[in-house]
Amino acid sequence: MIRILAFILGLVLALALIAMPADAQSPAAPQKTAPKSANATPIATTALGAITYGAQSANPGEKLFGQKCAFCHIGPSTGKFMLARRVPKGQAELPDRRDLTADYVKAVVRNGLVNMPTFTRVELTDRELAQVADWLARKGRK
Amino acid sequence: MSIQLPHGMNAAAFDKALADFRRALGDQWVLSGEEDRQTYIDPYAMGDGLDHDCSAILAPSTVEEVQAIIRIANQHKTPLWPVSRGKNLGYGASSPKEKGDLILDLSRMNRILDVNEKQASCLIEPGVGYFDLFRHLRQHAPSLWMSVPGNSWGSVIGNALDRGIGYTPFGDHCETLCGLEVVMPDGSLLRTGMGAMQGAKGWQSYKYGYGPGWDQMFMQSNLGVVVKAGVWLQPEPEMTAKITLALPRFDDAEWALDILCDLRRRDIIQHNIVFGSPVRAASTMSQRADWYDGPGALPDSVSEKMMAKLGLGWWNAKISLFGDEGSVMAQVALIRRLFEPRLGSALQFEIWKRGDPLEKSATGIPTTMGLQSVNWYGGRGGHLSFAPVLPQDGAMALAYAKKIKAYYEEVGQDYYASFTIGRRHINNVSLILYNRDEPEAIARVDKLYRHLLKEAAASGFGEYRGHISYMDEVAATYDFADGALARLNNRVKSALDPNNIIAPGRNGIGSRAQGGDRP
Repeated sequence: MIRILAFILGLVLALALIAMPADAQSPAAPQKTAPKSANATPIATTALGAITYGAQSANPGEKLFGQKCAFCHIGPSTGKFMLARRVPKGQAELPDRRDLTADYVKAVVRNGLVNMPTFTRVELTDRELAQVADWLARKGRK
Repeated sequence: MSIQLPHGMNAAAFDKALADFRRALGDQWVLSGEEDRQTYIDPYAMGDGLDHDCSAILAPSTVEEVQAIIRIANQHKTPLWPVSRGKNLGYGASSPKEKGDLILDLSRMNRILDVNEKQASCLIEPGVGYFDLFRHLRQHAPSLWMSVPGNSWGSVIGNALDRGIGYTPFGDHCETLCGLEVVMPDGSLLRTGMGAMQGAKGWQSYKYGYGPGWDQMFMQSNLGVVVKAGVWLQPEPEMTAKITLALPRFDDAEWALDILCDLRRRDIIQHNIVFGSPVRAASTMSQRADWYDGPGALPDSVSEKMMAKLGLGWWNAKISLFGDEGSVMAQVALIRRLFEPRLGSALQFEIWKRGDPLEKSATGIPTTMGLQSVNWYGGRGGHLSFAPVLPQDGAMALAYAKKIKAYYEEVGQDYYASFTIGRRHINNVSLILYNRDEPEAIARVDKLYRHLLKEAAASGFGEYRGHISYMDEVAATYDFADGALARLNNRVKSALDPNNIIAPGRNGIGSRAQGGDRP
């Protein structure tokens, strides 16, 4: 029962914090403070923050992650929310993961995983993917 | 997956064509291996998606390369399926309508060529995505706002050409285009509007040029490959106000549509208004199993539970107002006067003033949040949409929606609908969510879609946009004078593209099933 209540509380908070349905345009005003809930990790980054993630980084892997991945995997978005249902608390954003290897990242990006679509070698070349995968794997070891 | 050949071609002939494409583009940008082809399968395919598998992918980076590809394709008669970025999710993504066509992937052509902040327009290539343009504007022209579709992963030009929409005053994306550059089916280059004049200064200023305006010819069609487009942007207003109206009863759609449509016709509300059922909101933040695990369609009692927990109504309309402070506040007062007595509660608008954090405003901020909805049933999810055009009549729209809801329940599909209010029309969008690996679900989706198409056409309502699996079927519902429009489309197609190399069958034009090979 507590789990269910916590879940519902999570949903209500999520509704207050995040966005709108499938064809709506933009997330509602995001907040800096994060909700505690059963199924969502804290939302630390705003929608705008996710879009510009890594823009100032000197690391090409982080920069690419910001351009190609962050809009789903950082802040109030799809990849993060789906992962929050499966991974340990606090690791729903990929840079917080401790278990990613470069090979695993490459395999998921090229093959997709559940609802994550595949990335083509036109959209993200092998060289670029190696940079992103390397950066994510190294982050995990810090 | 094995080797896939273009329709009617043998392996030797295809190899020769690929060799020519490789000479034009370089080996790296001609992809024909299985590993690459599977990355182009529609992630929302109904089933494994191999029924729309391509034979190869060509990825040019310049207009000259596109022209070279078109000439080679004519020589070898290899059909091409152009995509801007291939993110037309719910309509087939990158996948060609006809199995074996080569995908012409324009996503490397991703330059923002010009942004004119004073005149509020830009000139871009088809590979430019909403996120790319948004980042660029924030940095270089922050006083310009853009409109974004629900799934903003895709191409600005691609979405506009397929007549996608957003929810700001610039939300009719096809109408924001001003001036196209197009590679024609013979490889020649055309500019529309003022761009038809060498050295024209007003290409992004006036859409029509002199004589007939051909821009619509390149929308939802296969009569050329658009390689540049001008796009009008919105100058930042002084103030915005936004609110989501939750209408508690299903039948509230009738009066609310009539009021909102009237405000839209008068341009008091200047954007496409969306008006969605509970599953629409719930599916972006939860899964079906969180609410209900029984068979058949979600019962109304469960929907009502969702509404109570999530603070939703049966219909939830997001309204935004844009302008100077005086006019926005007057419009807020008007909408409160119209809705508060009916809803019995005070409306709290969120007000943004220039200088406040952008997230508070009603501008378009690109997002992929809505894609979460495909996780509703669990597994690898997808969605299909059926969205017929209705006139702006609340009673008519409600009666139609009731009929559709009853049919969803009959076939055992969770009802997910929205109304989109345009300038003079309503789209009653039926969204159909599924787990793509569940054969019974796919059979149900197909049955439901075909029924909706037939039912709508019998009522006089036509679909506005087509998924690759149903393009011929939708085109066939446009049957005035024994299909006069289809005959015209096919005559133009055969005149301009006698080898039928550009997107055979797109929107039902030049389909092989209808003899499109020999137009």
